[in-house]
Amino acid sequence: MTSDTTYAPPEDLDARRAMALKVGAVGLVACAFGYGFAPEHFFRSWLIAYLLFLGIALGSMGLLMVQHLSGGAWGVFRRVFEASSRTLPLMAVLFLPIAVGMTSLYPWSHPELVQNDAVLTHKAPYLNSVFFMVRALFYFVGWTTIAWTLSRWSRLQDEGDMSVNIKLQYLSGGGIVFYTLTATFASVDWLMSLNPHWYSTLFGFLFVGGQGLSALAFTIIVSTFLVRRAPMASLFKPSHFHDLGKLSLAFVMLWAYFNFSQFLLIYAANLLEEIPYFIARITHGWQYLAIFLVVFHFAVPFSLLLSRDNKRMPHRLVWVALAILVVRYIDLVMLVSPEFDAAGVNLHMEAGEHEGGFYLHWLDLAAPLAVGGLWAWMFFTQLAQRPLLAFRDPYLRESLETTGGH
Amino acid sequence: MTHAETSPTLHGLMAEFETPTALVAATERARLEGYRNMDAYSPIPIEELSEALGLPRTRLPRLVLGGGILGGLAGYGLQYWSQVIAYPMNVGGRPFHAWPYFIPVTFETTILGAALGAFIGMWALNKLPMPYHPVFNVPAFARASTDRFFLCIETSDPRFDLQATSKFLESLHPLGVSEVAA
Amino acid sequence: MAAAPGHSHDGVADGGNMRPIPPVIAPGHTFESVTEKIGGIVLTKRTQIGWLVGFAIGFALLMLMNMTIGQLLFVGIGVFGNNNPVGWAFPIINFVWWIGIGHAGTLISAILLLFRQQWRTSINRFAEAMTLFAVACAAMFPLLHTGRPWLAAYWLFPYPNSMGLWPQFRSPLIWDVFAVSTYFTVSLLFWYTGLVPDMATLRDRAKSKAGKVIYGMLSLGWRGSARHWHRYEMAYLLLAGISTPLVLSVHTVVSFDFAVSVVPGWHATIFPPYFVAGAVYSGFAMVMTLAIPLRKFYGLEDFITMRHIHNMTKIMLVTGMIVAYGYANEVFFSWYSANMYEGYMMHNRMTGPYAVFYWSLIAINACMIQLFWFRSVRDNVGLLFVLSLLVNVGMWLERFIIIVTSLHRDFLPSSWDMYQPTRWDFAMFAGTIGLFLSLFFLFIRFLPALAIFEMRTIVPEAKLQPEQHG
Repeated sequence: MTSDTTYAPPEDLDARRAMALKVGAVGLVACAFGYGFAPEHFFRSWLIAYLLFLGIALGSMGLLMVQHLSGGAWGVFRRVFEASSRTLPLMAVLFLPIAVGMTSLYPWSHPELVQNDAVLTHKAPYLNSVFFMVRALFYFVGWTTIAWTLSRWSRLQDEGDMSVNIKLQYLSGGGIVFYTLTATFASVDWLMSLNPHWYSTLFGFLFVGGQGLSALAFTIIVSTFLVRRAPMASLFKPSHFHDLGKLSLAFVMLWAYFNFSQFLLIYAANLLEEIPYFIARITHGWQYLAIFLVVFHFAVPFSLLLSRDNKRMPHRLVWVALAILVVRYIDLVMLVSPEFDAAGVNLHMEAGEHEGGFYLHWLDLAAPLAVGGLWAWMFFTQLAQRPLLAFRDPYLRESLETTGGH
Repeated sequence: MTHAETSPTLHGLMAEFETPTALVAATERARLEGYRNMDAYSPIPIEELSEALGLPRTRLPRLVLGGGILGGLAGYGLQYWSQVIAYPMNVGGRPFHAWPYFIPVTFETTILGAALGAFIGMWALNKLPMPYHPVFNVPAFARASTDRFFLCIETSDPRFDLQATSKFLESLHPLGVSEVAA
Repeated sequence: MAAAPGHSHDGVADGGNMRPIPPVIAPGHTFESVTEKIGGIVLTKRTQIGWLVGFAIGFALLMLMNMTIGQLLFVGIGVFGNNNPVGWAFPIINFVWWIGIGHAGTLISAILLLFRQQWRTSINRFAEAMTLFAVACAAMFPLLHTGRPWLAAYWLFPYPNSMGLWPQFRSPLIWDVFAVSTYFTVSLLFWYTGLVPDMATLRDRAKSKAGKVIYGMLSLGWRGSARHWHRYEMAYLLLAGISTPLVLSVHTVVSFDFAVSVVPGWHATIFPPYFVAGAVYSGFAMVMTLAIPLRKFYGLEDFITMRHIHNMTKIMLVTGMIVAYGYANEVFFSWYSANMYEGYMMHNRMTGPYAVFYWSLIAINACMIQLFWFRSVRDNVGLLFVLSLLVNVGMWLERFIIIVTSLHRDFLPSSWDMYQPTRWDFAMFAGTIGLFLSLFFLFIRFLPALAIFEMRTIVPEAKLQPEQHG
């Protein structure tokens, strides 16, 4: 191990941070314009972009807790996970546009619609504006508490207090249960209820699995940035990237598995309350996006990640990771946009049959810049605050010794 | 020790070692010495031996890929042919060529083809089963499947010379050197 | 700490009140001692009285199975309790139960290998054997519940028959045939590939003529050549990579049998991952059920250490929590769906005539497994044995609930009925347990129950000494 135990972040991190803030500001200005011209599209686009970066933050927190419980070689990435998860307070603030735009996004927030719809009336005890906000508040309080407590104990560990090791494990055990349950309900609240009649019991797994994949891809990107600079250049080994690559491959396969299972079962049963979800996504131009996702969210990353070299060489793996983040965004577009028509109006807002068609709005580019810029600024701010290596991690020796791998 | 010229009744010379480390070191030395037709025998897989012997990457992954592709095509082809061409039947209004229904079986046959490729390919490339092999003629070799490590330089190697090779093997401090009858 | 020196995967948890992690193999073992200990169980001439008693029990139950099959073929399918509307009853419950148990074997041998989990080494062999035997038991049910298994050939397998008929590939039942037979075949190849180097060891160490000949033939002439090992390791890894999606697909396809339908309680998109998690959960419970007595009676505590027990318990905790998540998910969505039939299905499960089974299932699979969070429980081998048996019961109840409660009261109240298994149903189930036990006892007597060559790779001697090498 090196004698330098400060593991201070590289000098040019500040430049990236400033850059992220500029991008975020430009995106915000664009979004403000967009809000003026097309508020419906603004809320929809914001929701998509928001869920992508929330996914990175929450997925990182999930991976961090898994790492605390399982140990293993990826302990070297702990500080990246921790910094990601400490962006959650910012994400709570960025949730505000969704709360404001609730009536634009969610049909069940219109009492007159609920009254005339037996299904929505049945669901009203759950799907109503007040309870929606109470739940969101509960999720964010829970998530930030877990993230900040994990981070605080992690700092105590740096300072030499080894009694936190076992506490980190206990909290992670409970935290994973809490995260999985709340993420499931969040997926119902924020995504599934865009089409309030539709339901799929697998949806929570899809949501959590997507977050894990986004978090892994982002961790690969940041680690590739770090491995080119001191102090991490001597600490991140090909085997560490290999592990991240293997996990990404597993999550890519899980994504395909969950989606195919959901599709096959709904296609086979062909039930009135389920099938509209897929009809909306395999007709009117959306089918091309569906095929795009099958190819670029599954076939291509799957084939690339099978190669051992592609996983072990950061300069190759980072391109796969960047592509994965892009298709993660497109996957979220697919989850959200087909429920809205080209004018940005939710198709289920009015009674009767409505059909949307494929569209993309320029806000779909502006919103990820705004949310992503601000999020990345927060991330870099948090990353710079701690040593880049959790040098007193109880599994660290094992983690740094690792050389092998299949 | 006989001083005869390389005889057709001899398979090679075999040195016995006590540890995997000694075997890897001996193999590396023998390769530096210029020997190529040799083989190392161990009771456990030793990754470093492959490098020491200069073994090329195996063709096995390509066989597995080929087996998988064949299996997948066969599986999908079987379903397409039997459901659309040979025996089209309307079941609940579903299309004859209902591709989502064909994925699970295609997946299984792909896996089966790939696994058969790995299994048959590995044994075929290894030329096993082979009931007789000269190395079994060395009595000490019985421990090659428990706790002894052997390096056998074969007479077919162009640099093989009974005396010189034997001297070389002795210089590696083995537990013993024996001739392997063909 | 008692870690084998130079073994990087042993726990290094320092400081705090984190306990040192037990090693994967007790210290002091050598190539010879490992080989002798495991090989000796097979090569000894003396058959232990305990083995004879165990085998006799298994064999007696196996005879009960034969009797049941005779009765079934002679009298007809009516000897079973299947009725209308509960057309899928004991046979399918037991089929799913056995298939699920089979999953741990492949998971241990494949996924844990890919993730370089060395603790898999001492349990993979008998877990794989368990997989094969469990799948064999499972396969009995779909074959026999047809009542006329000699006709099942053209119902199940696509071959050009004289009637010009082909199986219906748009039905998940035929996917099951492909999934289960592929699973059995690939597991067998994987298992046998792993056995070959050990067969060579037994061939070289056997004293008896018969032993030398039989193990010699099974060893295929394996001689431990580095060129062979080179391809062997690659093949083993590839088979592991292939088996990983396979093992997930098998129970997924089993879940499709139910979920492709429109029956409330069956048609749920969460079924595939939830069934897979349940399968792994019950499979690890069965590995524990077998490993705990095995290590005790054959003195294998040095090889199946507390590390293994702890890790298996943790996997059961994780997969059990996923199963519990599935139960909670079903309850929430049966309400959220706003579908009358879904709602009634859940109401009937909780308060209907089979409610006692539902609540027993919740008690075991959702409540009891919370005990696995506690260290003191994970350390108590005797208690873990009891708990793992209970998990086997819980997972059987899960399949009973899914199948019977969904069918016995479906859309039309006029066709509701109760389901009552007959003595032959129980006899058949007990009989397959007999088949499983008989095969398993034969296996531990005649084949090495732990992978000897893989155990050798984790003794300290196997580690290359860096200063001399390279």
